[in-house]
Amino acid sequence: MAEAGHLARTDRLRAAGLLAPAYLWLTVAVFLPLSAMAFFSIITDVPFGDTEWRVTAENYAAFLESPTYARLLWKSVLLGVKVTALCVLIGFPCAWVLAKMIRGRSREALFLLVILPFWSNSLVRIFSWAIVLRGNGVLDKAVNAVWPWNVEVNLLFSEWAIVIGLVHSYLPYVILTAYLALQAIDDSLIEAARSLGAKWWTILWRVVLPLSSSGLIAGAVLVFVPVVGSFMEPRILGGRMGTYYGTVIEDQFVAVFNWPLGAALSFILLAVVLAILAVSAPVLRKART
Amino acid sequence: MRARNRSRIAGTLGRAYLAMILLFLYAPILVMAAMSFNASEFYQLPFEFSTTWYERMAGNDAILRAAARSIWIAMVVTAIATALGTASAVALWRYDFWGKRVLQVLLFPPIAIPWLITGTAMLIFFFGVGIGRGTPAVIIGHVALALPYVIVVVTARLATFERVLEEAARSLGASPWLATQAVMLPWIAPGVIAGALFAFAVSFDQFVISYFLSEPGDSTLPVLIYTAIRKGFTPEINAISTIIIAFSMVVMLIAARFTSFGGER
Amino acid sequence: MSEVRVENLSKSYGSACALDAVSLRFPDGGFFGLLGPSGSGKTTLLRAIAGFVEPDAGQVLICDRPVVDVPVEAREIGMVFQNYALFPNMSVSENVAFGLRVRRVPTVEAKARVAEVLELVQLGPLGDRRPHELSGGQRQRVAMARAIVTRPSVLLLDEPLSALDKALRVDMQIELKRIQREVGITTIFVTHDQEEALTLSDRIGILKGGRLIREGRPEEVYSDPGDVFTARFLGEANVLEGRAVDGALELAGGTRVARPADGATMIAVRPEHLSVSRDRPEIASALRADLRQRIFAGAMGTCVLHWEGQQLKAVARHEEFADLPESGPVWISWCDRHARGLRAE
Repeated sequence: MAEAGHLARTDRLRAAGLLAPAYLWLTVAVFLPLSAMAFFSIITDVPFGDTEWRVTAENYAAFLESPTYARLLWKSVLLGVKVTALCVLIGFPCAWVLAKMIRGRSREALFLLVILPFWSNSLVRIFSWAIVLRGNGVLDKAVNAVWPWNVEVNLLFSEWAIVIGLVHSYLPYVILTAYLALQAIDDSLIEAARSLGAKWWTILWRVVLPLSSSGLIAGAVLVFVPVVGSFMEPRILGGRMGTYYGTVIEDQFVAVFNWPLGAALSFILLAVVLAILAVSAPVLRKART
Repeated sequence: MRARNRSRIAGTLGRAYLAMILLFLYAPILVMAAMSFNASEFYQLPFEFSTTWYERMAGNDAILRAAARSIWIAMVVTAIATALGTASAVALWRYDFWGKRVLQVLLFPPIAIPWLITGTAMLIFFFGVGIGRGTPAVIIGHVALALPYVIVVVTARLATFERVLEEAARSLGASPWLATQAVMLPWIAPGVIAGALFAFAVSFDQFVISYFLSEPGDSTLPVLIYTAIRKGFTPEINAISTIIIAFSMVVMLIAARFTSFGGER
Repeated sequence: MSEVRVENLSKSYGSACALDAVSLRFPDGGFFGLLGPSGSGKTTLLRAIAGFVEPDAGQVLICDRPVVDVPVEAREIGMVFQNYALFPNMSVSENVAFGLRVRRVPTVEAKARVAEVLELVQLGPLGDRRPHELSGGQRQRVAMARAIVTRPSVLLLDEPLSALDKALRVDMQIELKRIQREVGITTIFVTHDQEEALTLSDRIGILKGGRLIREGRPEEVYSDPGDVFTARFLGEANVLEGRAVDGALELAGGTRVARPADGATMIAVRPEHLSVSRDRPEIASALRADLRQRIFAGAMGTCVLHWEGQQLKAVARHEEFADLPESGPVWISWCDRHARGLRAE
C-alpha cells in the first residue's frame, strides 16, 4: 500500500537530505561541465584572463568546412560498427554455452572468469596486446613455431591491432548482457519448441533471438558508444595508423590547446552518442527489467 | 543413440569454444606477466627468468609516488562515493516521489557518455571555476563516475530487503532511525561493501578522466604508464602493470563474493 | 484495563475507500477476529491500530489514550506479521530480546524474560538458532514470543497462520489460543479464513468494502448472520427468497413457509439444517427438489440439490443419506427456528 506521490513533509525533507549530496556532486562534476562545454563550443577563445572572445559558430563551421573531421568521425563510427559486430558474433555463442550448456557450480566460476578481465585496467590490457602483436613478438614466435614456412607476423600499428584490442576490452560486456538475457529464458520454452518438432536454427531464430534481443542490443550499445569515442587504444595499438576522431579531440585539449574547437568536436560526438542512446532507449529500458 | 551422440558433440564443441574465448581474454595478460619476469629489455625470446624489472621498479621513485597517489585517491573516492551513493540508494528505494524516474535516469550519463567527453568537459569547467587541474579535480571526477556503480549495486541489494522487517522493529518500540540501523543496515552491508570495492576499482583503474585532470608530473599510475608507453616503454612498466592487474582482479573477486553478480546462488 | 477502541475511523487511497467510518470496541483481554474478503479493509484497520497507516479521520484509543498522533514505536503494541518478519541477522534470543533492548531493560532481567517467554512458546532450547534454521511453526512461535515479551497493551496478529500448511495450522490455532489465555492480553487478529476466525475468537467483526457490517460472538453471528453477505461468507448458506403473503412467506413454486419474526423476505438455512428425504416428511412446508449429486467426504456427506433453478446444499452424517437415491426427485425441509431472516445487502 505505497502512497505514491504524496509524502509527508518530514519524509520529503529526509529524501531530499539523502539525495542532495550525490546529485549535487553529479551536477558539479558532470552536468555543469557538459553545459560549460556547450558554451565553449560557441566562443572564439578561452575566456580566462583578459583574452578577447566572442560568440561564434566558427568551431562548428570548421567541422563542416574541413572534410578531415567528418572523414575521421565516419572512420570512428565504422570502427565502432566493426568492433560491435565482432563482439556480438563472438560473445553471443559464448554466453549461450555458459547459460545453457554448462550446469552447476562450474557455470558461476566460468562466468566470473569471463567477465573478470573487464574489471581490470583497460590501459594495461591494451598495452599487453602491444607486446603480443609487435613484430618479432610473442604471436610472431608462436605462429612460426607451428607454421612450417617462415612468415613475419607484425600486426602492431595496424587497424587489425586496434580492432583486436578493442574487442578484447569490450567483449565481456556483450557476454555479460547476453548471458543475463539468455539465463532469463526458461529452458522449458526451448524444450517445448523441440517437442513441436522445431530444428535448432528455427529455435534460435524464432524463440531464442527474439527473447534475448533486448539484452543483445543493450550489450551492443554499451560497446559501440565508448568505441566511437576511444583514443587511447588507437594511439597505443595504431601508431601512425591510429588517427581517429577521438585522438583529434584529445589533441585539441593536450597538444594544440584549441579548447573551443575541441569542445565543438566533443559536442558533435555527444550528439551522435545521444542519438544512438535515444534510438535504443526503449530497448534498454526493457532490458533492465 | 544418435541424439545422445549429437548432444555430446555439441557439449564438447561448446566447451572448446569457451576455452578459446578464455585463451583470447587471458593470453595477453599472461604474456605480459611472463614478460615482466623476462631478462630481455626488448621482450626477446627465448625466455630468461629474472626479477630485474621488479627491482628496478622498486627503485623508481616516480612509479612509487604515482602508485601511492593512485591508492590514496582511490581510498578517498571510495569513502565519498560509498557514503553518498548508499544514502541516495536508500532514499530512491524508500520514498516514492515526483521526479524519481528522472533522478534514476540521470545516473546513466556518467556511465554511458564516453569518458573522453566527460573528461574534457570537466577540464573546461574546472578551469573555468578555478579548481584547475590536480588531485582535487581528479577526486571530484572519479567520485562522479563511481557514484552510479555504488547506487546500482546497493539498490540491487536493497531490492531483496523486506520492508516489513523495519515495521516489525518499530512495532517493538524502535524509532525509525534505530529500526534502520538495527535491521536494514546489517542486511545491505554486503551490497555496500561490494559497492565500495567497485568504487575503488573504478577509481584505481580510471585512466581517461585522470589523464585530462591530473597535473603533469603529479599524475596517477595509469597516466604515468600511458606516458611511458608513448615515450617507448621499459619492462618496469610491465612489472607494475602485472601488479596492477593482479591487484584489481583480486579486488573484483572479493566484490563478486559480496554480490550475487553472475546469476543465481 | 487495556481496551482498544476505534471511533469513526476512515481512510482512503486516492478514490479507493479502505475504511469508512468504522467504530468498534475490542474488549480487554479478549480475542477479537477481524474477518473479510481481500480488499475489505481489515488489514488497513489493523495497521491503523498499529500506527503504520495514518487515518484520514477518526480516532484510535488504546487504554483510553488517543494514539492517532503517537508514532508506532510509542504505542506499546505487539505485532505478529504475516511472514513473521523475523530479523535474519539475529538469533532467536536476539530477536525476542530486541524490544527489551530498545527499552533499555537491564541485561539480567532481559535474559530472564526472554528465557521465560521462550519457555511459554515451547522453544526453550532453540535460543541460539537463526530464523532460517527454524521450521514454519517454530518461526511462528518466535514471532509470538517477540511480540509479547515487552508486555504490550494489545497484540495484533496479521494473518498469523496463513504461511503454514493445513495440519500445522490447526495445531498452531490451539497453541495460539493457549498462549493468549495464559498471557491474558487483548488480541486483535486479521484473517480471511472464516474457520480460523470461528475457532479462535471470542468476538468477531466482519468487514466489507471498508465498512463493519456485523460484530458479535462467533456462535451468534454464525447462527444469525443478519444479511446475505455474512450468511454466505461465514460458512455456507442456502438463501431462499420469497414474498410476504398473509403473514407467511411464499417461495417460488408457491410453497408457503413461516415468515421470520423480523419480517424479512429472505431466509438462510445452513446446509446442516436442511433435511433430505425420499418420502414426503410431515411438514407442510416441505419442498420438492432434484438431487443432483451425493458427495462422500469421510464422516460427513453432502447432497447437491436443485430447486427452482437454484443450487442448494445439505450436509449431514453420511449414514443419514444412506436410503436416498443416487439422484432424482427428493423432499427437503427444515425447522422454522433454523430459518433466519436476512436483510438484503
